[in-house]
Amino acid sequence: MSEAVLNPLAAPYTTAAPARHPAYNEDIVRKFLIASMFWGVVAFLVGCYIAAELAWPQLNIAPWFNFGRLRPVHTSAAIFAFGGCALLGTSFYVVQRTCRAPLWGGKALADFVFWGYQFVIVMAALSYVLGFSKSREYAEPPWHIAVLLVVVWVAYLVAYVGTLLKREEPHIYVANWFYLAFIVTVAMLWITNNLTLPVSIYSSRSYSLLSGAQDAMVQWWYGHNAVGFYLTAGFLGMMYYFIPKAADRPVYSYRLSVVHFWALIFIYIWAGPHHLEYTSLPDWTQTLGMVFSIMLWMPSWGGMINGLMTLSGAWEKLRTDPGLRFSVTAVGFYGMSTFEGPLMSIRSVNALAHYTDWVIGHVHSGTLGWVAFIVFGSFYYLVPVLWKRNGLYSKRLVAWHYWISTLGIVLYITSMWVAGIMEGLMWRAYDAMGFLQYSFIQTVVAVHPLYVVRLTGGLFFLLGMLIMCFNLIMTVTSRSTARAIAPAAALAAGA
Amino acid sequence: MGSTLSDVIIGVLVACLGLIGLFAAAGALDIEMSIFGWSMAGFALVFILGLIKRHYDEIDAARHAPQAVTIEGVAIHE
Repeated sequence: MSEAVLNPLAAPYTTAAPARHPAYNEDIVRKFLIASMFWGVVAFLVGCYIAAELAWPQLNIAPWFNFGRLRPVHTSAAIFAFGGCALLGTSFYVVQRTCRAPLWGGKALADFVFWGYQFVIVMAALSYVLGFSKSREYAEPPWHIAVLLVVVWVAYLVAYVGTLLKREEPHIYVANWFYLAFIVTVAMLWITNNLTLPVSIYSSRSYSLLSGAQDAMVQWWYGHNAVGFYLTAGFLGMMYYFIPKAADRPVYSYRLSVVHFWALIFIYIWAGPHHLEYTSLPDWTQTLGMVFSIMLWMPSWGGMINGLMTLSGAWEKLRTDPGLRFSVTAVGFYGMSTFEGPLMSIRSVNALAHYTDWVIGHVHSGTLGWVAFIVFGSFYYLVPVLWKRNGLYSKRLVAWHYWISTLGIVLYITSMWVAGIMEGLMWRAYDAMGFLQYSFIQTVVAVHPLYVVRLTGGLFFLLGMLIMCFNLIMTVTSRSTARAIAPAAALAAGA
Repeated sequence: MGSTLSDVIIGVLVACLGLIGLFAAAGALDIEMSIFGWSMAGFALVFILGLIKRHYDEIDAARHAPQAVTIEGVAIHE
């Protein structure tokens, strides 16, 4: 599919010269894709284990495998390792293709980004297990690992922007806008939230530069925008490239995608304080966070409609292309979780939902349904292309993956909804004398069966991931997917 | 940016990181900093060895690549 098909508005600006194919660096994309799949298995496996720890606390093996130490391993592996490697890999693929330029900085820079990022992931996981977490949610690595990540991230930004500047296409396709917003904003968020004073330059311990309510607000400004710019903007870049490619249709409305971009990045950055409602944060900031969260409904649903409507005239592909089914379901989950999030930020709803498992259910409907599914859809498209294969090894296995994972998500989020609302209602129940009707441990006992259901859902999702790994490995290695060699090429190879 | 220049810049950057790692390991006040320092020094060493290996691999590949046949400077067969 040509760039003009992907991007109708850019068509008048495209050159009439026949397409040339620069030597794209596909090796780095393959590396990130493999790493993402590996870290996905790790993340889901650790997630299942800590879900089991919550259901059966005897599984907490002190001190290394306590829930408190393994939980950041799970979240970091899922967000930064699985999701991050998918984002870095696909962004390198998309920027080269849509700019018609090889990756700037040569193989050395790209390799440094890849291996440096893997090194940071391994070091961070090790620091959590050893008990050296900084105790800031989604920003747990000790200060020295945070600094190293900044170095790697700047190298990533240099490679990405360098490619954009050296592009052969006059137009910058909208997917690149989303990827660039993700790279720049995550850098800004990460640096600000990691402003700490080390106890010593030789010590892993450090203290935050800020304190009290300011510290909490910066943490949740970062925390929510990690969701907004890491788990949303970057993956929207993926959506705007891979859904049109897989569907072989142009984006439904390119103008809407541009409005989607600017509205999303302007509004999202203000929504963080909704994580701190009913706290010592100034009241007006809580209201600000809530109002901007509600406003987010508009760009989020605009983007969802744009993604779904891209399939106009190609809906039948959902029956024949199970990879595309993942991407479209992901957009559905994106719409659902971006409706649920603002709803939960409304004060009266937040009073019920906050600190309960409803929040966990909400996060997982976004991360499993939106993030993981859009990654799966993109990978099912990318692997045959990158390894130059005829197609996937088994579409039937993709369909199995799809249904098992979907069932896993449904089990996960429904159990957490029920558990969360039950917890919220039990915590606020008073008897006729004005005493709390339930002790905390009674609420823990009440949610136990739902924790087991949640674990079952997680195991289903892990099983789906393993099926995908098998299918993609077979796609790369099986003879049945090998491309036939043209007779001339076969003669040349024989000669 | 030329590939060789990129290799040199990244090589120097990674060498600096490796040195910082050695200093961190030498003065470490806790096990985390010690592990991090030694690991970063090891990472730098392996990465730079990889850069050197690729450099010579590319020279070898260029040496053994089929030469283009030219007539008066115009390639007629590759």
